[in-house]
Amino acid sequence: MTQQVLNAIFIGSIYALFAVGYTLVFGVLDVLNLAHSAVFMLGAVVTYSLVALHGMPFLPAAVIAILVCGLLGLLIEFVALRPLRRRNAPPISALISTIGLALIFVAIVEQATSGSLFSWLWQDGANSVRFPTGTVPNPTYHVGGLTIEGTKLGILIISVVLMLVLGYVMRFTQVGRALRAVAENRRAATLLGINVDRIFASTLFVSSALGGLAGLLFGLALSDISPYIGRDQVELKGLAVIVLGGMGSIPGAVLGGYLLGLIEVFAFVRFGSNVEAGVAFAALFLVLVLRPQGLFGARLRERL
Amino acid sequence: MRTVARGFAIALAVALAACGGAGSTGTTSSNSYQGKTIQLGAILSITGAGGVYGPSSQKGMDLAVEKINGSGGVNGAKISLDTKDDASDKAQSAQVAQTLIQQGQLLALLGPTLSNSAVAVHPLAESFKIPILAVSTTGIHIVPDCNFPKTDPCKYVFRDSLGEESAIPTNIKVYSDAKHPKTGVLMVANDDKFSSDGGKIVQNTVGSYGIQLLDTVQFSKTTADFATPVTKAVQKKPDVIFITSLGGIPAKIMIEARKQGFTGQFLGGNGFNTAVVSKQAGDAGKGAESGSAWYINNTFASNAGFVQAYRAKYSADPDQFAAQGYAAILVLADAAKRANLTFSDTAGDRTKLRDAMESVNIDTPLGRFQFTSNHDVKQTIWVIQMDGNGGFTLVKSVTPS
Repeated sequence: MTQQVLNAIFIGSIYALFAVGYTLVFGVLDVLNLAHSAVFMLGAVVTYSLVALHGMPFLPAAVIAILVCGLLGLLIEFVALRPLRRRNAPPISALISTIGLALIFVAIVEQATSGSLFSWLWQDGANSVRFPTGTVPNPTYHVGGLTIEGTKLGILIISVVLMLVLGYVMRFTQVGRALRAVAENRRAATLLGINVDRIFASTLFVSSALGGLAGLLFGLALSDISPYIGRDQVELKGLAVIVLGGMGSIPGAVLGGYLLGLIEVFAFVRFGSNVEAGVAFAALFLVLVLRPQGLFGARLRERL
Repeated sequence: MRTVARGFAIALAVALAACGGAGSTGTTSSNSYQGKTIQLGAILSITGAGGVYGPSSQKGMDLAVEKINGSGGVNGAKISLDTKDDASDKAQSAQVAQTLIQQGQLLALLGPTLSNSAVAVHPLAESFKIPILAVSTTGIHIVPDCNFPKTDPCKYVFRDSLGEESAIPTNIKVYSDAKHPKTGVLMVANDDKFSSDGGKIVQNTVGSYGIQLLDTVQFSKTTADFATPVTKAVQKKPDVIFITSLGGIPAKIMIEARKQGFTGQFLGGNGFNTAVVSKQAGDAGKGAESGSAWYINNTFASNAGFVQAYRAKYSADPDQFAAQGYAAILVLADAAKRANLTFSDTAGDRTKLRDAMESVNIDTPLGRFQFTSNHDVKQTIWVIQMDGNGGFTLVKSVTPS
């Protein structure tokens, strides 16, 4: 059982890291960025590509991939969000345009085989691959019947530290205050001299960089990199997490991530896979009924 | 007046039909094939979960078409193959099949890649009386009943891919005879037909070899982290973990199980049999055994030639699905050669092709190839194991009785 708790905490930290990016964009822009799962996937794919196809060591590859994902966030803002905002389109339009971008990102990767246009990025089509053995040292400890992997431990630490840093930035820095001002009231923020467009762009950059980081850590720890890791494995769960935690709330997303991980693992161990997703989403339903603002969602005014 | 006209029309139709009949019986030589095209359609999963298998099938088929057309075609007729992607989705697969059938010119269909989709596509082909040859589906009830709610077998559905019902029991028998395992745990994806069928076969087989199934761990094919199901399995300390699942899942389970200290044996089915899975599993997969329809290092001519041509064309090694795709085209070409096609009466030609397919007996990369009376493949089963480097080695070959 203790092993299963460890498993839950670990998968929870991936959910949390993914959901934090999701919730950040929602909190600031009032838009669900459904291309976030595709950026998550590209974080893993770009790192894999640099390491396996271009022979780069893991660390610089990871840094480049995170930057690339941040830039993709800017692409999302400039292509899918800003033009619609200029036209005062309803939020649903932005939601659809981000779905469109997600489909394009996934299609680019799944169609890429050796000899194709994007073969410098990906050569395995719809297949699932893993980092070459030894890319990152992964000492595995067996303590009292428990298996603890170095990479998973590392990911847990990275996730927690990053989320603490993000929390600090949001609460105590000028940028964070500007972000929260924009989230609370766009027009008032503009009147106070805050460049709203720039805030939006930087939000997308940070959110997507975090998504990319979550993706590459996922690919590293779970030995699974494919065009579908975002769509099939974290997208819906990420949504569940931010609803659970309270839309737009960063601490909510973090705790929601760990909570979902725990609920899932316990449901699996106790009842089996047929009800695993069922139990997780039943919990979500309960939260929506009993506490529509989410577990940690304060009143709308105070989110982020 | 109207009756006269109708009588005339009937007389004309009878006369035309008679001519047509005489024409076709008169041309038993290959001349009627010269310059004609044998049109085939393939429904494959190029993207989505089946994207691990579909592209291989496609490459194998393309290679065979190229080879046959390059050496004079089928009695002088060229083969043209129209391949469509069904994105591994059952509904889309049926949609694609419908589109291909409605073009009206196709003599036969190949596919679809996944058993899950075959449930929708095969009955469709049967109702349009167009022969369909499954090239990678291994679930139960693919042939002969193609999941129809009826008792008589489907007449137009064939399969050249070794079913899990043959592959898994053979694999378990070979391993049991050699190592006599006592206990096992089954890990099965329960939201996919191929996987759950495989699971049922394992459950029905292990008893005959004295293996006690300690637990069946079911999981979803969309599981992100396999640590949880694997922990559940490994804690039972089984001699063998049976894995019936597809795509990258068997590899992920093997990697996770080895990390958690499992030192026993992995046994599985067709889901193990691609180099992609072997490569992804790496060290963790070394020794994992499965029953396969094909083995790359077989040296008989029909396989050696295929492997060589495939490497030359794609600069990569073929896998089982490429071999089955290649074999499928050889089978259809052989049947077409003997079917006395008219190239004018598509419906009649489809039936003739179907009849000729039943008596196929040729050499393919899979070995000597025939259909059983149920339209299933009858061939040697190659029990193989992963070598830890993305390849396989042969454990034993089992010839059908």
